Amino acid sequence: MVETALIESEAFIKGCAAIGAGLAVGLAGIGAGAGESGIGAAAVGAIAEDRGFLGLGLLFTVIPETIVIFGLVISLILMFAY
Amino acid sequence: MISRTKAAYAYIVARTKVMKSKLLKPEDFRKLLNMSFDEVMRFLEETEYKKEIDEMAYKFSGPKLLDYALFSNLAKTYRKIYTVSFGDAKILIGQYLRRWDVWNLINIIRGKNANLPAEIVEETLVPAGEFSFEILHSMFSKELNELIKELEGTIYSEALSKIGSAPMNLIEDELWKAYYKALLSVKANDFESRVFTNFVRMEIDLRNIKTILRLKAEGDTAEEIIARIVPGGYELTEEEARKLATMSFEEIIKSLEGFWFWKISTIQDLGRAEIELDKIWIEAIARRAGNYPLSVLPVLQYIVLKKVEVDDLRILGWGKWHGIPNEEIEKEMVII
Repeated sequence: MVETALIESEAFIKGCAAIGAGLAVGLAGIGAGAGESGIGAAAVGAIAEDRGFLGLGLLFTVIPETIVIFGLVISLILMFAY
Repeated sequence: MISRTKAAYAYIVARTKVMKSKLLKPEDFRKLLNMSFDEVMRFLEETEYKKEIDEMAYKFSGPKLLDYALFSNLAKTYRKIYTVSFGDAKILIGQYLRRWDVWNLINIIRGKNANLPAEIVEETLVPAGEFSFEILHSMFSKELNELIKELEGTIYSEALSKIGSAPMNLIEDELWKAYYKALLSVKANDFESRVFTNFVRMEIDLRNIKTILRLKAEGDTAEEIIARIVPGGYELTEEEARKLATMSFEEIIKSLEGFWFWKISTIQDLGRAEIELDKIWIEAIARRAGNYPLSVLPVLQYIVLKKVEVDDLRILGWGKWHGIPNEEIEKEMVII
């Protein structure tokens, strides 16, 4: 009886961790996407006028991606810690 | 939806910022002032105007070539801004650029009244508004009453219906009033509408004060001045403008203290005062565009600055061609 309860609670925690990991990457991705929409649009605009902005435009566009890396780290911790 | 609108503005604003960085700098103008006309043309052949100068060099020469190149480049640039913009920005930019429809219509009517050949009138046309060059060409080939019929139902129809019964300057004023009335009734989202209409209202202020000062200096009556005032000013409301129209020139100067556009203490030369007003306007737009970077204002700022550059280059070119001293040419230019 106790053993079954322990197994169920472990499964529950693992399930919650998996959902948490998914949310960490998913929400961070949505946030980064929202941030990138404006930067990407501006970068494309600047590059369309002057190709010299290609490098700088790309760099600025991927800056919000760093937040996804944080999300990914959190999700990996969640997945491997539990 | 919000982010889509912001992305639309980010795109068009970034494009116009890059275009703005390619405008001639004050130091370029100072360099150009020390050149001869041919050197000015050679300099311009290394700038954004190269294509237009090369295109018509076989047909025109001298300042006429310069005029053609500048006007064609202006129209091309404005059309490009309109084409690459989308969403609310496209609507607002399109409406603002209709000023060139008014400009073209006035030139066509003036040309027809003076029986000028099509080539001369076409040189002055800037097809940057709603009417393409082909439409404008077909307009010129029509009789005036046919033209009025064709434009029935547009914002210009009321003004154009007065052709024949009213003097040309009144019809021109009516066309400008119709243009500004349409601009002030443009519907966009609340923030955009507010920012855009405030810009237009400030432009109306400037237009009205220039009209009042010029007509007052020429000795026109208060009624004549009031008839030419464009309603819808920002600080200089129609009522204020009417009040100013009844005052003497000196009283007007005193009463203008405190208005956003008035930083001039005395007026010795009206032409210089108008240039000063233009500089104040450009500074005001720059401030506002800086305050609202993701709006239509930076685009409108570029539209205004491009026109100022073209005007400056025309003054410079014609001045050089006629051998006017550098100091005199510089005084007529709006260099910021």
